[in-house]
Order: sequence, then C-alpha cells, then structure tokens
Amino acid sequence: MTTLLIIIFIITLFYSAISGRMFTLINLLMIQGFLLFGVALIELRELNLLNLILILLETLIFKAILVPFLLKRTIRQNNIKREVEPYMSGINSLLIVSVLIVLSFILTFSLQDTFHKIIYFTAAFSAINTGLFLIMSRKKIITHLIGYIILENGIVLLSFSVGNEMPMIVNAGILLDILVSVLLFGFFLSKIKDISKDFEITKLSKLKD
Amino acid sequence: MIGVILILICALFFPGIIVFVKSRVTGRKGPGFFQPMKDIWRLLKKGNVYSKTSTIIFRLASPVYFASVIMAMLLLPMGDSPGIISFRGDFIFFAYALSLGKFFMIIGAMDTGSSFEGMGASREALYSMLIEPAFFILMASFGMLTGYSSFYEIYNSLYFDSSLTIFTGLLAVYVLIQIVMIENSRMPYDDPKTHLELTMVHEVMVLDNSGFDLGIIQFTSALKFVVFGSLMANFFITPEMPLWLSILVFIAVQIFFAALVGLLESFRARHKLRDNNQAILTLTPISILVFFSILLIITNQF
Repeated sequence: MTTLLIIIFIITLFYSAISGRMFTLINLLMIQGFLLFGVALIELRELNLLNLILILLETLIFKAILVPFLLKRTIRQNNIKREVEPYMSGINSLLIVSVLIVLSFILTFSLQDTFHKIIYFTAAFSAINTGLFLIMSRKKIITHLIGYIILENGIVLLSFSVGNEMPMIVNAGILLDILVSVLLFGFFLSKIKDISKDFEITKLSKLKD
Repeated sequence: MIGVILILICALFFPGIIVFVKSRVTGRKGPGFFQPMKDIWRLLKKGNVYSKTSTIIFRLASPVYFASVIMAMLLLPMGDSPGIISFRGDFIFFAYALSLGKFFMIIGAMDTGSSFEGMGASREALYSMLIEPAFFILMASFGMLTGYSSFYEIYNSLYFDSSLTIFTGLLAVYVLIQIVMIENSRMPYDDPKTHLELTMVHEVMVLDNSGFDLGIIQFTSALKFVVFGSLMANFFITPEMPLWLSILVFIAVQIFFAALVGLLESFRARHKLRDNNQAILTLTPISILVFFSILLIITNQF
C-alpha cells in the first residue's frame, strides 16, 4: 500500500516538472503532503504514540494545509505572475527529470542490500533531485521555495523509511520542515517585495545601492 | 479466428457509439449507430480522383495503411485462443506493422506536393515517434512480469493479485488509452472536426484522398480503435472464462471504451499544438514507472 502512495508521489514529481502554473505546483505540494501523511500513517506503527501524533499532525497541518495556503496567499497578495517562467521548455524539463528519476532508480537497485525498502530511497532521492532541478531551472524566488519544499519532502520520506529504528531522524526532518515554514513566514511578513519588485532571480544579481 | 470476426463486427458500430455519446452529451439527438458506416459505404462505391502530380506512391498509400492494420489485427489473441499469427516478440511486429501503414500515409501525403499535407505529415511522424518508447516500455514490462514475449502468452499468464499490480494495470490502461487517442488523432491531441488546415494533424494528410481511398482510410481508423480496444479487453479476459463470457466481456469493453472516447472528447478542449509534444512525452515517464514497479514486484522488494 505504501508503495502505491510512493508511486503516486513520483508521478507528482513528473507533473511538477511540466506544470506551467504556480497554483498547479502548489496543489501538487498539497497532494504530496497528503501522500506523506498516508505513508506515515501506514508505515510508522512502531513509534510511540506521542511522537507519531506529532509527525502526523506535522505532515497534515504543515505540509498539506498551512504551507500551500501561505504560498497561495503570498502569490495573491503580492500580485506575482501566475506563470512559472522556467529557463527551459517543459519538454526539456520533463526529459531531465525523467533521466534523474531513472538514475536514482538505477542507483538504488545497485545498492539494494543496505536498504530493505528500496522504493523509499528511490522516491526520496528522485524528490531531492527534482527539487534541486526546479531550483536551478526556474526564475522566480517563490518557485525556488517550492523546489526547496519538494526537496525537503524527499528528505522526510527518506527519514520515514528508517523511522521505526531511528525516530530521531524523523524529528530532524520535521525540524527542517519547520525551518521552511519560518522561511515562508519571513517571506510573507517582511516586505520582500520592496527589495525585488518582480520576484525574479535575474534581478537579484544586479548590484544596487 | 473468433477474435478477428469480433474485431470486424465491433469496428462496424464503434464510430457510431462515439458519435452517439458525443451528440447525447451535447444535448443533440444524433445520427443512428450505423451512420458512419453508411457514409463509408457511400464512399466505397465512388471512384477515385488522382492529381496529375501524384505518383504510384499516393495510390499505394491507403491500401497499405489498411493492410497494415489488418496485419496487426491478426496478431491479437482472444481469451483462450492465440491470434492467427503468433510468435515470440510479436508485439514488436504489431507496433512496426502499424508504423509501416503510418509511414505510407506520410509519404503518400508528401507525394501530393501540397504544403499543408507535408505539414500534417511531419506532425504525425513526430507524434508517433514520441509514443513509440511508451508503448515498447509498457509491453516489455508486461513481458518481464510474465516471462514471455508474445501477446498470447503475456495475456494468458498475466495476474493481478496485490494492490500494486492492480495499480500498475490501471497505469498501463491509462497509457494505452492515450496512445489510442494519439494514434487515431482524437481530441486532446487533434480535433477531427477542425476546419482549419493549419491546425489539423491527421485530417490534413487525407485532404487529397477521395472516394474509395478515403472510405478505406476512415474504416481503418475505426478498425484501429477496436484493435487497441482489444489490447485492453484482453486484460479483463482470463483463460478460465467460457467462450460466451469472454465474447461478452470483449464486446462490453469495446462499448465502454467507445463511450469513454466519446466522453473524453466531449469534455476536453484540444491542446495547443505547442504543448502536444510535452503532453505526449509524459506517457514515457509513466510507462517507465510501470516498468520499475514491475521490477519491484518481480524482485519482491515493495
């Protein structure tokens, strides 16, 4: 059952590579949050109750509801353009992301002895790669944040795979997640719009007094 | 043998059901089930008109197209009985028989010397190039799951027991439906009802065909739908079924599939031509996922 959820997770990665709209990307983040919630619910049975409830609440509230909501609100309030504006076309992004995911599959199959559930490692590694790729290939700052959240979802998924043995790693993953949320809060509350008018990364490289 | 007869019978009413569903969804009464076939019959009785610039290739194109789909049809199994021709690796022959027909349509379109047709031909060639990896990865993964390499053996030893295999089957059906829509140039990828030559894909290639040739091209397109539909129907037919049940399942799947095509066409706008390549290429990653999930099933690591 978890394998099924993780395969849907990988499909959302493909979709995030070709989606041309910001809101589609954010909805994908929401779906990923729900998928991670499902994985945690099924997989982390051996954890103690308090820790488990913390993780479930975190995945559900932070990942699936709060962060997407905040991102949408940021986009609406700052009048950011709704298009993603990548450096390369969707077809090239899709090709690169598929190659990255195939590579991570090959990598996990070649070291299959160390992880007893290789699908977790594959999906996590693919998400990390895809997140990094989204950060590299998109122009807007807010898309960079989304790429970072996807990367971070991968890390949380990886921590779930060893969560029953090492609960501390899951907690570390959650700390990362809270870091992103704080980053978002900062992005949202402070008037970052005054610093860069168009929220584009190309503008940030210019020096100005 | 029974499979071939069933495919031919289903091809007679398949386009009728699509038109029926489409007209009912949009609130019209619509023509009868056999109206598309009556139109084709009217075309078949007519003679051909050939342009002076076209050569023998143009005359060959539509018969070869028809023959290639008939060839592909002979390979398909039907429940317990294998296809008339069945050998190891016949799914590769299936794909390339269809490609041969398409290739002849493309060079036939180029042969007319019309700039519109060349444009349509180039698009059609690009799209069929983009779906080829998806189809092969899909069939190869099912070959890997069962350990066999012909349609008959693959379908006979296919099993869906865990949730993961069922999900994989659903993904495969999704990819197959999209492949059919592209192969037949239907709605999300190409609008058969469009009247602007610049945006047509398949329709623009047959602008110069008339009479008998146009008739067999249209009949072939119906036949192609049913051929791919029977690829899907075979997922649901198990070898233990009695003959009457498998025939019933076959026809039910075809009718359901035709209704699905009609519904999909009614509720979707066509893609921009620019976005088509990207949308078609998406099928390849999905079939790669099918491949890897089957790899997980085989190695028992899920």
